[in-house]
Amino acid sequence: MSFLRIATTVPVTVFNFPSYEPQRLESWSSKHLNLPLRRDILHLAVVYEGDNTRQGTASSKTRYEVHGSHKKLYAQKGLGRARVGDKQSPLRRGGGKTFGPKPRDFGTKITRKVYDLAWRTALSYRYRRGELVVCQDGMELPLPADFEVLLQNGGMRESGAELEAGFRAKWVKQVLDTNDWGRKAGRSTFITSSHRENLFEALDLVPNWGRALDVGDVDVKDLLETGRIVIERDALMHIIESHQSDLTPNIFVANAALPSKAVSGEILVE
Amino acid sequence: MPPRIPTRIVAQCCRAPLDHFVLPSLAHLFAALSVQLAPSHTRSASILASLSDNPGAHQKRIRVGRGPSSGKGKTSGRGHKGQKQHGKVKPWFQGGQTPLIFQKGRLGFENLRAPVLSEVNLNKLQEWIDAGRLDPSKPITPKELIQSNLVGSIKDGIKLLARGGDSLKQPVDIMVSRASAAAINAVEKAGGSILTRYYTKQALKRLVEGKSINTGIPLPTGAEHVDPVLEEVRQKGFFYRLPDPTSRWDMEYYRDPAHRGYLSHTLQPGESPSLYFKVPPVQIARDLQKKKKAKQEDVKLWEKL
Repeated sequence: MSFLRIATTVPVTVFNFPSYEPQRLESWSSKHLNLPLRRDILHLAVVYEGDNTRQGTASSKTRYEVHGSHKKLYAQKGLGRARVGDKQSPLRRGGGKTFGPKPRDFGTKITRKVYDLAWRTALSYRYRRGELVVCQDGMELPLPADFEVLLQNGGMRESGAELEAGFRAKWVKQVLDTNDWGRKAGRSTFITSSHRENLFEALDLVPNWGRALDVGDVDVKDLLETGRIVIERDALMHIIESHQSDLTPNIFVANAALPSKAVSGEILVE
Repeated sequence: MPPRIPTRIVAQCCRAPLDHFVLPSLAHLFAALSVQLAPSHTRSASILASLSDNPGAHQKRIRVGRGPSSGKGKTSGRGHKGQKQHGKVKPWFQGGQTPLIFQKGRLGFENLRAPVLSEVNLNKLQEWIDAGRLDPSKPITPKELIQSNLVGSIKDGIKLLARGGDSLKQPVDIMVSRASAAAINAVEKAGGSILTRYYTKQALKRLVEGKSINTGIPLPTGAEHVDPVLEEVRQKGFFYRLPDPTSRWDMEYYRDPAHRGYLSHTLQPGESPSLYFKVPPVQIARDLQKKKKAKQEDVKLWEKL
């Protein structure tokens, strides 16, 4: 019996940022970056995240919480009017809300292994569509030397922060458009392993061109949102390593052959 | 268009493993079918809009009393007339007869103070050893049993039971709270040894956390032991010591050699494990004689063979 030989690894090109020049080629496990698309798993993960993101702070007053006296407004009989109770009755203007919202937790639960699978499924989907751009560690937006000099000399001080912001916005727009990452190409999400001041500040100014996220702030939904994910190699590795509970069994087996671990990040071509 | 790595090199690394033949899982086969070359320009429509759970993953709520076409319209599935239609009948209602609990009363009681023990059967123990989850060459203590997940949760102790006792293939050196007579028999028949000692829930927790060290030796008593114990603590650091039993039942259990109790070595020859009843001297003498006779017979048999 002969089985089709299927690649257990997939190639990942690591690019330079922001020049977008390929720096090296790595092999990553297909259990990390080439999983089949499971819309149901992604749905579960996105709904779970949405539920847990809800604030649940909406609150309204019932008839017992609305301010005022609970005295009967007027006599039950003899006035030729409809019967009434107190002023806070939900039927009256200014009364309480009958079944109004109260603060509550909308959070739901998800199986850890399903959630971890969803993370890698989302990355795999992006990878297969060519929308996962892996960049070298230390991703940061370089500013032109003249601009830095101007900033240090305080040349911007008189003209104000507006000019500076305008320059940053224009600069980052041009950088993104050159790589086909900008507004016309459906925005990009930049994920770094820590906060990068220039990059984050610049992208905050041009939300229509893309957004930047610290790896700790990323959700599965963020991975599915914009036109492409531009991610630092370190951040990608961190995401994968912290989301593979379904690959690594927590049963301790001594003197026995462990199931082969999925290995990623082996350098093929430098 | 940025410069790209030539496709020839890319094809090289998208290789099948040559050194060891790995059967691909079904998931990989499907994934491989959908591998595409990176499209340079596709219309970016978010996948978010087309996510949904599998059909049939959720059952729709039955909406009762919402019209005849729903099938649960008129009587809402409650039938006609009576208490069952309008409210609810207590599940323990016995149709109007004097409830049995009043007629006959309650039988027995539940001992809430009794220790709850986790049970470990010998067939499971063997299964764990076969799977490599327990190492039979080292002593098997509650810490190993709990950490290997043979015992799921920490209770007041662990009792070894004899189901599948014949299946024990190798000698094991095991220490538990209690053991059934058949289990002791099976372990010793396989050439192993078994010791029962007193554990509490807290003691088991501390063993698992590494805050105390497992031992089959009871705590020393007497003023002369204070200094050596303190000296040991100073040298090795502090570890919680395992407690000894204080209740009569427990003391008697662990004093009994039939239970392979860790206090059984404290018994004088002819002493009963019971703290209350003494063995009459006449019986002791009789037992000793019996033992002697049995030994002599044994020797004779051996000589004949």
